[in-house]
Amino acid sequence: MHPIEASGLTKTYGSVLGVDSLSFHVESGEVFGFLGPNGAGKTTFIRLLLGLISPTSGTAAVLGADVREEAALIEAKRRVGYLPANLGFDPGATGEDVLDYHGAVKGDSRRQDLLAMFSPPIDRPIREYSTGNKQMLGLVQAFMHDPDLVIMDEPTSGLDPLKQERFHEFIRAERDRGTTVFFSSHVLSEVRRVCDRVGILREGSLVALEDIDTLLAQGGKRVHLRAAEDVHDRVRSLDGVFDLDTVGHELHFTYAGGYNELLDRLASFEILDIEITEPPLEDVFMHYYGDDTETDDPATKLEAGDA
Amino acid sequence: MTLKPTIPQQNWRQEMLETARYEVDRRRRGTVVLTAGISLVAVFFIALYPSFQTADIDIDQMIEAWPPAMREAFGLVTLASIEGFLAVELYNFVWVIVLGLYFAYLAAGLIADDIEGDRMDLLCSLPVSRTRVLFEKFAALVVPILAVNVVVGSLVYAGTIAIGEPIDALGLVMVHLLSIPYLLLCATIGLVFSVKFDRGDVAKRAAIAAIFALYLLDSIAGSVEEISVVQSLTPSGYYDPTAILVQETYAIGDAGVLLVATAVVLVGARVLFVRRDL
Repeated sequence: MHPIEASGLTKTYGSVLGVDSLSFHVESGEVFGFLGPNGAGKTTFIRLLLGLISPTSGTAAVLGADVREEAALIEAKRRVGYLPANLGFDPGATGEDVLDYHGAVKGDSRRQDLLAMFSPPIDRPIREYSTGNKQMLGLVQAFMHDPDLVIMDEPTSGLDPLKQERFHEFIRAERDRGTTVFFSSHVLSEVRRVCDRVGILREGSLVALEDIDTLLAQGGKRVHLRAAEDVHDRVRSLDGVFDLDTVGHELHFTYAGGYNELLDRLASFEILDIEITEPPLEDVFMHYYGDDTETDDPATKLEAGDA
Repeated sequence: MTLKPTIPQQNWRQEMLETARYEVDRRRRGTVVLTAGISLVAVFFIALYPSFQTADIDIDQMIEAWPPAMREAFGLVTLASIEGFLAVELYNFVWVIVLGLYFAYLAAGLIADDIEGDRMDLLCSLPVSRTRVLFEKFAALVVPILAVNVVVGSLVYAGTIAIGEPIDALGLVMVHLLSIPYLLLCATIGLVFSVKFDRGDVAKRAAIAAIFALYLLDSIAGSVEEISVVQSLTPSGYYDPTAILVQETYAIGDAGVLLVATAVVLVGARVLFVRRDL
């Protein structure tokens, strides 16, 4: 049994497509990143998992419970933690009121540990909370009953860089304890840092499902070279070169072929300087988005977020 | 992957009313303010009564001269007794109209406000069924309904004794007791709007409009014989403070109708809530 298993999961709102026949699963004990720009369907998928909305067709199972079966899903939810993207609390309640309530319903065996790590001012009314404090309260409630599966929608939004780093460390430690973590993000650096696998969602469809390393490898290498002569045409004719950018005798390009072919070609040039690096995940991501002019420019929606 | 130690299940099954309890706590201040406010109104009317009675006019003769539709609308039979006076000023006005509207308004916010304020996602991610969420939230309204009845009822009893015009105790108990099914029905009607609309304001306005329209319908139907049957379709047609306090007729059956209607509307609200996308 996989903690999350989607089979042909589809949700349409009238003529608007939320998610389109998603079929994939999340492995037990992994950190799975669900990546895509705003509006790609990440939140729709998560809300389907929690039974907040019902599928138009297909289904999904959470800890073995079909999301269409309320009773079964309720049983499963005892072992699920959830952090929504838009986190709302009663403004008049204190953080403690909220945690007491959540604790009474689902348990709070780890509450104190979590409060030591994320420290929202729990004795103050939530209306006085900053976005970051709300988010920390959300994290505490998501993990305090020691769930087997935690589903988070944009978990680090609103956290300052220090808290984000603490959160990433925490997620890695959670995985080591055996917790399965599923979270959506449009912050690529975060996904890269903590995820074992990623799914990339585009307009409701899954366009990639890979180990993070494979995904990076598929993106090719970034090559930056400075030559003593004009080599533009000779580089461009090489298979596997794309996104070539030439300024004078300086060239930037992405290379997806084998190293030997590249080096063979380069050996015939007079090279002054060369640097071959792993591409930023943004570039990898662009491969799944970049060829469609209909989509809004994802670069404007995606944050490099190197916090 | 390391396996997690199994944590013994909490005693969640013994704790069944967390949501209702939480809601009651959240509404504590509102309940106190409401009860205090209505208490003030009651004290004001009771304090007014002696001067009303000693005024050198035959008030009931004046009422006779009023158009029947007016008398019907305000439940006017007599103002010459404390029962008749309070039936009109406090119960027909405050209980039937003000509290009817207020509890419909409150109930209309129960679900819609949580959806609008992004609280519903988190609430429904808890291991609690939607039916339970709905019913417990609704049950939390019973506390202010009881509080305002018990406190103001006691105050009226003490107040009328204080001005030397003690009110009939049985009538007083009945006018409060029989108002509870009426207020519950008003609240359930508000609840239907709450599960139907995503915005609290819209749900609340619709609920207030509906309760007020039903009240007007009852008033109009009460004075036009040909359509008097319409009264039986309105909640206020089943709760008549004047009949209870002045004529001492306790329509237990009518209260039963209100309770059955409450149950039916509540089930309807549940069906809507369980089926809808949040």
